[in-house]
Amino acid sequence: MEQSRNKRITRRQFIKGAAVAAGIPLLSSKLPFYGSLAHAAEESDLVIAKNGSASQLLQAAMAPLGGMGRFVKNGQRVVIKANIAWARTPEQACTNNPDLLSALIKMCYDTGAKRVAVWDHTCDNYQFCFSRSGLKETAQKAGADIFSGHGRNSYKQVEVQKGKKLKTVEILRDVLESDVFINFPIPKQHFATELTLGMKNLIGITWDMEQLHKIGLHQCIADVNTVRKPDLVVMDAIRILTTNGPKGPGKTEDIGEVIASADIVAADAYAAAFFKHPKTGKPFKPEEVQFVKNAYDLGLGQINLSKVRMKKVTAA
Amino acid sequence: MKRAIPYLRRTIQALSFFFLLYLIIRTAFPLELKIPVDLYLRLDPFIGIITILTKKEVILRVLPGFGVLLLVFIFGNFFCGWFCPMGATIDFFDRVLFREKKRSKEFNDQPFRRLRYGIFIFSLVAGLMAFQVMYLLDPISLITRTLVIAFYPPAIFVFNTLVPEVQSFLPKNSSFLSTIPMPMFKVNLLIFLFFVVILGLGVVKKRFWCRYLCPLGVLFSIVSRFRILRRFVTEDCPHCLRCVKECPVGAIPEANPQEYRQQDCISCFKCLECSPEAVSFRFGLPRRRPVNGVSLSRRYVLGSLAFGAVSALMIKANPLQSESGLKNNRLIRPPGSLPEEKFVSVCTGCGECLKVCPNNALQSTFLEAGLAGLYTPRLVPRIGYCEEFCNFCGKICPTEAIRYLPFEEKRLLQMGVAHIDKTRCIAWDTDKICLVCNEQCSYHAVIGDDKKRPIVKEEKCTGCGICENKCPVDGEAAIIVYASGVQKKLKPEDVNNDNKNEVPANPAKKGKSA
Repeated sequence: MEQSRNKRITRRQFIKGAAVAAGIPLLSSKLPFYGSLAHAAEESDLVIAKNGSASQLLQAAMAPLGGMGRFVKNGQRVVIKANIAWARTPEQACTNNPDLLSALIKMCYDTGAKRVAVWDHTCDNYQFCFSRSGLKETAQKAGADIFSGHGRNSYKQVEVQKGKKLKTVEILRDVLESDVFINFPIPKQHFATELTLGMKNLIGITWDMEQLHKIGLHQCIADVNTVRKPDLVVMDAIRILTTNGPKGPGKTEDIGEVIASADIVAADAYAAAFFKHPKTGKPFKPEEVQFVKNAYDLGLGQINLSKVRMKKVTAA
Repeated sequence: MKRAIPYLRRTIQALSFFFLLYLIIRTAFPLELKIPVDLYLRLDPFIGIITILTKKEVILRVLPGFGVLLLVFIFGNFFCGWFCPMGATIDFFDRVLFREKKRSKEFNDQPFRRLRYGIFIFSLVAGLMAFQVMYLLDPISLITRTLVIAFYPPAIFVFNTLVPEVQSFLPKNSSFLSTIPMPMFKVNLLIFLFFVVILGLGVVKKRFWCRYLCPLGVLFSIVSRFRILRRFVTEDCPHCLRCVKECPVGAIPEANPQEYRQQDCISCFKCLECSPEAVSFRFGLPRRRPVNGVSLSRRYVLGSLAFGAVSALMIKANPLQSESGLKNNRLIRPPGSLPEEKFVSVCTGCGECLKVCPNNALQSTFLEAGLAGLYTPRLVPRIGYCEEFCNFCGKICPTEAIRYLPFEEKRLLQMGVAHIDKTRCIAWDTDKICLVCNEQCSYHAVIGDDKKRPIVKEEKCTGCGICENKCPVDGEAAIIVYASGVQKKLKPEDVNNDNKNEVPANPAKKGKSA
C-alpha cells in the first residue's frame, strides 16, 4: 500500500526533478551564481524530524538540508555505512531500522544514484548479522548491494594525516572510492565509550577494529573520522538502545526521530542528549563524550549546538 | 549394453564423488539443503553399528545405513564398486597416477586377505573398549575428513588469491567479490599424508585399500556371502583369464576362473566383458560355502582379539588419555557434546562440524584428547568463537555425538568459563579503555567495574570464546576460556539485568519529548 503510494511522483519530487532538470545546464557552464543558487535550498545544518513513518521522517529531515539532491547527483555511486554489527533482530535496536534503510536507499536512487552499496564490517559473523537483522533482505529488495568487510581485500591502507594517535589505518576501499558517503548510525549506549553515535559507527569501515582499543579508542574514533568525512549523516533514532550496549539486548527507547546533517559532530552532539549520564543522571552533554570532544578539537565539526542552524520538523 | 556398463559405472562413481563434494560445500551457512548434508555418513552401516554399540542407544540418524546393508544381501557389496566416493577416488588415482606395478611372480595376497579380517576384529574390540581406531579407517569418514581438513583450506586459499586478480579484470565499480577468511586446521598435513599413502598403495595392487584394509568393505564382505545376485560362468569359458586380470578386487581365482569369491566381488560387472559371453549375473539362492575363502584360524582370531583388547587397555592406562578429557581444561567440546568418554567413542571424526562451523572455531584434535580422541572436534576460541545463534554442528553431526540443541537451550549451555589474565589485560594493566570483551559478549557475562575494567560473571558465561577471540592483546589473549568439565545448563536469566521488561516485540508508540 505504502509502496505503491511511494511509486507515484509526489509534488515535491516533481519540483525537485524539475529543479534538477533546470539545473543541469547550469552545471555544465560554471556560472558564478551557481553556488549561491545551491545554497539557497538549504536552510539549516542539522534537521531533526519527528512523528511519522520511517520514510516520512527521512523525507522531512532531508528537505531543509536541501534535499537528497544536494548530496547525491545523477550517476554517482553511493556508499552507506550502516550499523549491522550484531546478530540481533530489528526490534532490539542494536542494528538499523530496516524501513529507514530501505527509504534511504530508495531516496538515493530517486535522485539519480547509479549504484548504492551498503557496507559494514560486522562484529558477529556477517551471515548471521545480515540475516537476523533483516537488513540484507531489505537492502537487496530496495535494489542496493550489501557487503560485509570480512575479506581483507576490501580494504586499502591509508595514512591518517590529521590523526593524533592513529597514523595508518586500513579503510574500506569502496568508502574511499565512493562519490557520496552516507553514514547511517543508530545511537546506542556503549559501556566502554559511553555512547555509540555517528563517529563510532565509522569504526566499522576499518579492518583492525579491536586494535584501536590498544592505541586509545576515543582518539582513534576521531582520527578515523578524518580519513573520509561522510557527506551526509542520517541518524536512525527511531528506537535506541539505552542499556547493555552496543550488543544488547537491553532496554530500548522509542525516540521516533531521524536526524540528518552534513556535520557529524553536530549530529553526535545532538544525539548524546538522548542518553542519561550514569553518574549524574542528567542527559549527556556533548563534551562529556570524549570522542565527540576529540573530533571537535580536530575541527571535524561544531560541538556547540547553539552555533548550528538547527531545525526541528514534524513529518506527518 | 554390456559394453556400456564400465562407462556407466565410472560415470556413477564420478557423480557420487562430486555429489559428496557438493554436499560438503553446502555444509555451510545457511544449511538449508533439503537432503541431509551428511547423507553419505548416514548411509554407512559400519558407522551405524559401531556408534550404536558404543553409545548403547539407538541413533536415529545412522539407521539408513542398515538399508544399505539389506541391499548388500541382494547385490553384494555394490556400494564399493559403484557409489563409494573413496573407492571412486582410488579407482581414479589407480588409473592416472599410481599404476599397479607389473610383476613376474604372482602376488600371493592370502596373508593380506587375512590381515583385513584381523584388523577388523582388532579395531572392533579396541573400539568397543576405548580406542576408536576404526573411525580413522572408515572410508566415508576418512574421505569427508580429508576433503574438509586437507583440501578445503587450500581451495579457499586459491580462491582468495584469485579474487583480486579476477577483480582487476572486471570493469571498475561493478559488483564486488570479497575474499573469505581462511579456514585453518592444525592436523591438515597429517591427514593429507595418510590419504596419499592410501592412494599410493595402489602401486602394490590396484584398490589395495579396498581389498585389504577397508573395514566397511569387511562388513560388506561378511554380508555379501549371502548375496543372491550371483555370477555364473557357462562351459564356454576358454580360460583366457581376462576376467582374472580385469577384476579390480581380485575376486576371481586364477586357478579356476569359473568360480569367484562372492564375498569380495564388488558387482562392478567388469567380467561381463568376456568375448564368448560366458559370464552372466543372475539371481539365485545363496551358496552355502564360499569359494576360496580366507582361512581364519582360531589362533588368528584369538590373537586379533587379544591384541585389540590389550591395546585398548594400554590406551586407557596411558597418561595422555587419562589426563585428557576432564582434566585438560583447554579441551572445550562443541555445544551439546556428549560427556567426554562417550563423545570420543561416538564421534567418528568425519569433520562435518569443522566444515559447517561459520567461524572456523571447531578444530580437529591431535593428541589433546588422547589417542582415543584423535581427530575429534574442539573449540579453539583464539581461532574462532562459537556463534550465538548457530547450532549447525549439532544439526549435522551424523552420529549425534553433538546433540541438536534449539537456540534457547544452546544459549544456556556452559562449555567453559572465561578467565581474565589481569597482568596482561589492557584495562587492568594500563589506564586505557578497552572492554572489547564486554562489548562482544552476547550473554552479558563480562561486565565492567567502575574503572571500566572487565570482570567475568561465571554464572552467565557460556564459554563461547568471543572475548578470547576478539581480545586485542597480541599472541595469547588476556581473557581465556577454560573448559568447565561437564557441560552444564545455566540458569535462565532476564536478558535485561537492570530492567524487568522484556525487549518489546513491536515498537511501542512511546514518543519522548525532545
